[in-house]
Amino acid sequence: MKTLIKEFTKGIIKENPTFVLVLGLCPTLAVSVTVANGIGMGIAATFVLLGSSVIVSLIKDFIPGRIRIPCYIVIIATFVTIAEMSMKAYSPVLDRALGIYVPLIVVNCMVLGRAEAFACKNNLASSFFDGLGMGLGFTLALILISAIREFLGSGQLLGHTLIKGFEPIFVFGMPSGALLVIGLLLGFFNFLKNRKT
Amino acid sequence: MKEMIRYGLILALICAIAAGLLAGVNELTRGKIAAQAYAEEQAALKEVMPLAAKFTEVKSGDELLYYKALDNQDKIVGFIFKAGAKGYSSLVQTLAGIFPDGSISAIKVVSQNETPGLGMRITEKKFTGQFSGKDSLSLSGVQAITGATISSRAVMDSVKKKAAEVLELIKNEK
Repeated sequence: MKTLIKEFTKGIIKENPTFVLVLGLCPTLAVSVTVANGIGMGIAATFVLLGSSVIVSLIKDFIPGRIRIPCYIVIIATFVTIAEMSMKAYSPVLDRALGIYVPLIVVNCMVLGRAEAFACKNNLASSFFDGLGMGLGFTLALILISAIREFLGSGQLLGHTLIKGFEPIFVFGMPSGALLVIGLLLGFFNFLKNRKT
Repeated sequence: MKEMIRYGLILALICAIAAGLLAGVNELTRGKIAAQAYAEEQAALKEVMPLAAKFTEVKSGDELLYYKALDNQDKIVGFIFKAGAKGYSSLVQTLAGIFPDGSISAIKVVSQNETPGLGMRITEKKFTGQFSGKDSLSLSGVQAITGATISSRAVMDSVKKKAAEVLELIKNEK
């Protein structure tokens, strides 16, 4: 039980996919313009991560090592397509906001990375909690980045104007602003880590 | 050789299961997605031509030329067309409703991917609201957004150009 909790929590801080493993940065840079987009992308990625981790760990003995990558890709692509179709059917606004970045979860190195580095070597329960924790860590990282960018870039948070008369800094709404925010946050988390040791 | 066949079969099996699963999900969501697209289209049409009760498509072959907007007595109240032009960083598509006399009812930017905070402001009411009542061929009096001239121009020029085409087509309809 204790190890399961550890598998779950490691993805949130100690092995956070964005700030520590630095995986899946492309969608992070692109969709973190508003908090709503960040949450949507986080949920979609968590669903895919969870689904693919569980399936990969279930059939790991059945898949021959030499063709494991194409097998993982098919499994991941299936979950991505399910997520995309459901999003189109039930949340067309979010679907339009995230655009091409939902299908691109297929090639998100975070998802394949977890299948390759964790799910194919561990049992079902561990893989489930690893996927869930990593997904949650990714979602929280997206929320943090997009909150900073939405506030500085448009003066809003979740679409609500916070400070009247705040002059938005346009650059934070653009990809260059995302790089700035992610770079500074990475530096900050490294600073915290180094101080501890 | 034996290995190769085994690998191929395993991969084929996984793909077949995945395909079956996706076919099921597609069946479940297809109707819903089509309904969403239809509702969205009708809502957008209604937005640029609030006076109309229903809309019919006018096509030439498979290409959609424009929509006719009809009132409850099937009388034509106006026409709606989709105009598109390259903006600063994306294709800007605008839905515009015009009355038979050529003046604009309203416009709506339906698809764009311009710079957030600058070009993206072409979707705001402050910009699109200016079009209402203006002559679709000249658009005189419509102000471009400061700092987003190229995006604004894309909307204005594409609407002007397409309006001229559509007005030519509907000459005989009035």
